[in-house]
Amino acid sequence: MDHADLQPYCPSTRFSPVTGTRDKVFYGLFAATAAIFAYLIGYIFLVTPLAQIQAGGLAQKIFYFHVPAAYAMYLCGAVCCVSSALYLYSPTDARDAAARAGADCAVVFGAMVLGSGPLWAKKAWGVYWTWDPRLTTTLLSVLVFVSVVMLRAFAGNGEAERKFASALGVLGTVTLPIIHYAVVMWGGNHPTVITKTGGGLRHPAMTHALLVGFVAMTLLAALLLWARTRLALAQSRIARVEEHAIATGQID
Amino acid sequence: MTQAQPDTTATVSDPGSRSTEFVPVQGGGETTSAASLLIAAYMLMWGLLFAFVFLSWRRQARVETRIAELEKAIAGGGGSGPQ
Repeated sequence: MDHADLQPYCPSTRFSPVTGTRDKVFYGLFAATAAIFAYLIGYIFLVTPLAQIQAGGLAQKIFYFHVPAAYAMYLCGAVCCVSSALYLYSPTDARDAAARAGADCAVVFGAMVLGSGPLWAKKAWGVYWTWDPRLTTTLLSVLVFVSVVMLRAFAGNGEAERKFASALGVLGTVTLPIIHYAVVMWGGNHPTVITKTGGGLRHPAMTHALLVGFVAMTLLAALLLWARTRLALAQSRIARVEEHAIATGQID
Repeated sequence: MTQAQPDTTATVSDPGSRSTEFVPVQGGGETTSAASLLIAAYMLMWGLLFAFVFLSWRRQARVETRIAELEKAIAGGGGSGPQ
């Protein structure tokens, strides 16, 4: 049997897990991320001072993961938006895979934000949830990304579904700036300690912990996006190989 | 059927009755431990991350299984391959 026509798509050569140089870069990134998270956790609990009770006291330490997770959600949303827009402009499997990975990771980081925020709010505000503008817009954005993930999971992998999900991905990301400026535009309970004029972190250790948190979450987002993009790409290529093999009668 | 409204004006008349009745009060103090909320938040965030990584790992395993099935079917010459 002649396998020559399948070689360009052969799973064993094109879909294998991360290998060679990419393998080293991936695991290097993984090691760096793990080390920075270990340092960050130690620093948060051993070095950063407690905030005033109105900010939640000990619960304010949620801040050092909560805010970087929100930033990572923006980052993944941006990846989803750019990849979706590029897919709508010129469809490729790689762009679709990156858009899908961006939406997946945005949901995970969004869930971290929406899970940790209410626990902090319970101490700082006395309630788990309030329909504050920033909370509400964050919830809406995460729900848009959830809809993209659900659409791709249950509506098939056809061209129309991909394009609809891409359009939804662009729409979801358009709401992200609204979250950011919601507090400025509409007020609300949500604190605004990070500002262009330096912010309200009144101790150098607090600023340091937050900056390390941003670096750690950026690396984590990059790792997750990388892994999920490769996975989505492999799934798309396998589907094409199956179609090709069925069309040529190699499998039935 | 509506839930009965508590009588918020009631007070504990006898200290001995404190363990046998619940009397609603106005503006009770916040008693949730900040430490427990902090631990819950960190557990939730790490739990979400590990769940996501686990699900990704499972999906990766399914992809690899599918690749192996395809390779086997193609090498076998078709007809008995995966449907």
